[in-house]
Amino acid sequence: MKNRLRVLRAEREWSQADLAERLEVSRQSVNAIETGKFDPSLPLAFKLARLFETTIEGIFTDEE
Amino acid sequence: MSSRVGSPAKYRFEDRVLFFVVPLFFLDAILGIWGFHYHHLHPDGALAVVCAALQSSPIIAFIVIVGLYLAGETDDFQKTVLVQSILRGIGVTLAVTTFCGSLEKYGFLRQMDVSWVQILFFVTVTVSMLVSRWRYR
Repeated sequence: MKNRLRVLRAEREWSQADLAERLEVSRQSVNAIETGKFDPSLPLAFKLARLFETTIEGIFTDEE
Repeated sequence: MSSRVGSPAKYRFEDRVLFFVVPLFFLDAILGIWGFHYHHLHPDGALAVVCAALQSSPIIAFIVIVGLYLAGETDDFQKTVLVQSILRGIGVTLAVTTFCGSLEKYGFLRQMDVSWVQILFFVTVTVSMLVSRWRYR
């Protein structure tokens, strides 16, 4: 699954560690999601959407 | 803003492994390799049952601790990494013990000391966790 996490994070000038702190997850988790190696759970996807004031579809795109 | 290295559940997990599993593991390794293998100790009766229970205790303790961790951890990614590492450990242990067991059955290999099974399991899980940590650094 593709995502715009890196772009959204860069717009706010947040590091991966900053985002991890806001999401209450590890920095490794943010890195894995950003690089597409791990798909977040639905609650975490909603949390991301709320944090970036957008929708889940605004962050994640289904590759199919 | 500081980076969160681990969650409280992860710290509890690491502490529990360090204080329960590691001492039991070394006790088992010493008992199994030094006592039974090199000094040919053969416990009998109730003592045999106690020794056998002691030898399986590190894995039982580890499984209980992992269960507590999975119940308390809120970071799904960290849960996934641990479960993947344990699955790799189980897979490698099963494959190697089946291979060695077959060779033993055909008469090509001496009986393998059961302590090596635990050593293999814990080493594989630890290596797998370190590889995951490096991969997602």
